Amino acid sequence: MIRPSVGLLGRIVAILLLAVTIEFAVSTYLYERASHVSVRDDEARRLAEHLIVARRVLNERPAIERPEVAEELTTDRYIVGWSTQTPPRPTIAPAMDSMRRQIVDWEPSLAATDIHLRLTSPGRTSMVSGDLRLDDGSLLSFRMREGVRTLDLALGRVLLALIPAIALMFVSGALIGRILHPLRTLARAADKLGRGQGASALIVPERGPKEVRHVTRAFNRMQARIGRLIDEQTRALAAVGHDLRTPLARLRLRADSIREAEVRDAIGNDIEEMEAMVSSLLAFLGGEGDVEQPELTDLAILCANLADDAADHGRDVRYAGPDHFDCRLRRFGMKRALTNLVENALHYGQHAVITLDVERSDAVRIRVEDDGPGIPEESLELVLEPFVRLDAARRRDTVGFGLGLSIVARVVAAEGGELTLANRPEGGLCAEIRLPHCRT
Amino acid sequence: MTPPTILIVEDDPALRTLTARALQENGFAVKLANAAPEMWQALEVGQIDLILLDIMLPGTSGIDLCRQVRQKSPVPIIFISAKGSEVDRVVGLELGADDYLAKPFGTRELVARIRAVLRRGGLESTPGEREAGILGFDGWTANLPRRELMSPSGAQVELTGAEFDLLVAFLDNAQRVIARERLIELSRARIGDSSDRSIDVLVSRLRRKLSGAGGAAPIVTVRGVGYMLNVPVERR
Repeated sequence: MIRPSVGLLGRIVAILLLAVTIEFAVSTYLYERASHVSVRDDEARRLAEHLIVARRVLNERPAIERPEVAEELTTDRYIVGWSTQTPPRPTIAPAMDSMRRQIVDWEPSLAATDIHLRLTSPGRTSMVSGDLRLDDGSLLSFRMREGVRTLDLALGRVLLALIPAIALMFVSGALIGRILHPLRTLARAADKLGRGQGASALIVPERGPKEVRHVTRAFNRMQARIGRLIDEQTRALAAVGHDLRTPLARLRLRADSIREAEVRDAIGNDIEEMEAMVSSLLAFLGGEGDVEQPELTDLAILCANLADDAADHGRDVRYAGPDHFDCRLRRFGMKRALTNLVENALHYGQHAVITLDVERSDAVRIRVEDDGPGIPEESLELVLEPFVRLDAARRRDTVGFGLGLSIVARVVAAEGGELTLANRPEGGLCAEIRLPHCRT
Repeated sequence: MTPPTILIVEDDPALRTLTARALQENGFAVKLANAAPEMWQALEVGQIDLILLDIMLPGTSGIDLCRQVRQKSPVPIIFISAKGSEVDRVVGLELGADDYLAKPFGTRELVARIRAVLRRGGLESTPGEREAGILGFDGWTANLPRRELMSPSGAQVELTGAEFDLLVAFLDNAQRVIARERLIELSRARIGDSSDRSIDVLVSRLRRKLSGAGGAAPIVTVRGVGYMLNVPVERR
């Protein structure tokens, strides 16, 4: 069981992301706090001083001159106005309460002037405006020209600061990916080798960091060794097959000149058995060196043919199923597998039935059923193992090494199918081959 | 009538001698070669009716030899191989061999195969030519060298040796009525299958295999005479 994993690259990027995020968050917090406090204090003091001066000046002037003076008091930073009426006062924002406190703290005399502050937002930026009373009850109004820092601005700065962080993530991700690339190539090659697809050597180029190069070299050496072993074994087997069959052929021809029919037939049977053993061994171990490609085959006719062939040799084998069914498979392999099943059925029973059931357009079941004694339930799995012969003690007439069903299992596995053996309720064995994706 | 001469190309001396003896006992004249040079020499010197060619030979392999012989002469060739696989058989037949025999073989089987190939060669005016083609009929494709049949849907259709021979007989006589007796004679020319099935059973099996989706097989019975393939055959 493999636990899902984000992989080395994912982990490294995650660590980088975490580090950058923390660094960013901490510095932003510190910077924001410091700048906010100082700027606001600073602005509050300046505003307080300006208001004190403006109030004093306006207080000293007669009402008629006050609008003009107010205009003179208007600076680059503050707009100052004068009126006799109280303007409508909107709900006061809490932030302005704290700013008012700051102003009053700095100039306590302003506390007695009924000073009010409010945040007005004529455009995208918010501005602080307010008013306070003069000694005669008229109003001095003021407005800061410069907008206060708003959340929009803060967000903009966050994004601005994030851009290099994100760019950094991508760059470092790509760099780490480059470092890990050889490791990934190696993993793919090892996976292929593990699934036995790397018949020809998949030499992985030695690249990347020292450790990865080291592992790659070790892997290459290992797979070269495995490849050599398999090649040697296959070649040795093919040679054995060849070298055994030639003396068998000699023996066969020699046996034909024996006059005593009984001896001749006995030797003939022995030779046949030996040939069957050599064939099954070579088929099982791949010594024939065949690499068959799947091709579109009429499986129904293949099955019907097996029944016809057996019937022609005087055996009772029937085929039940459709007349035609096309599917894509290695047809010589499948023929060999089905032949093995039919031979098994006829070895233990008298009658056999080959049934082809089309489940879906691309899934099919082939059953070979006999009327023999079946297999003890506890041995149903065991007989699929190579070199297992259940009847070794009971019956000596079995031909071969006990590879028949193992070859079937292997052929079926190569087609992505399943082989199951079961005892029929009415007696006898049922071998079922299920091919779930036989059209692709 | 002079007996047919068989050239045995085999590198194992004992097997060569034993094969030669078996053939001589059955009325054939025999010449021997252990590899390519001797084979070419024998082919130059005298009339050879059939070559029995081992695939695994020292030096030039039997497969290459077969290809080279085919470029010069239509002499029938039977491959002998220690590999019993079907893929090998198909490759051998495609290269132009007339038959394929796997080791170990018995005298009876060997003689029967040789006689069948010789008889087939005798039936046609130009031996080897007939088998050099791919024939199409009614959407089906018969590959004579590989002895394979492909259905209109493109699937390989398995035929027994006797069924394939029967099909070849029909293809050679397309749109002509073939008498039952003549069919028996034609399809017996090759012993691909040791069965003694009657020709009617073979025809009915072939019909079943050639039946398409809803369509009947293009073989009709001509009452009292025989059978006929009632579609045209085209060479490809």
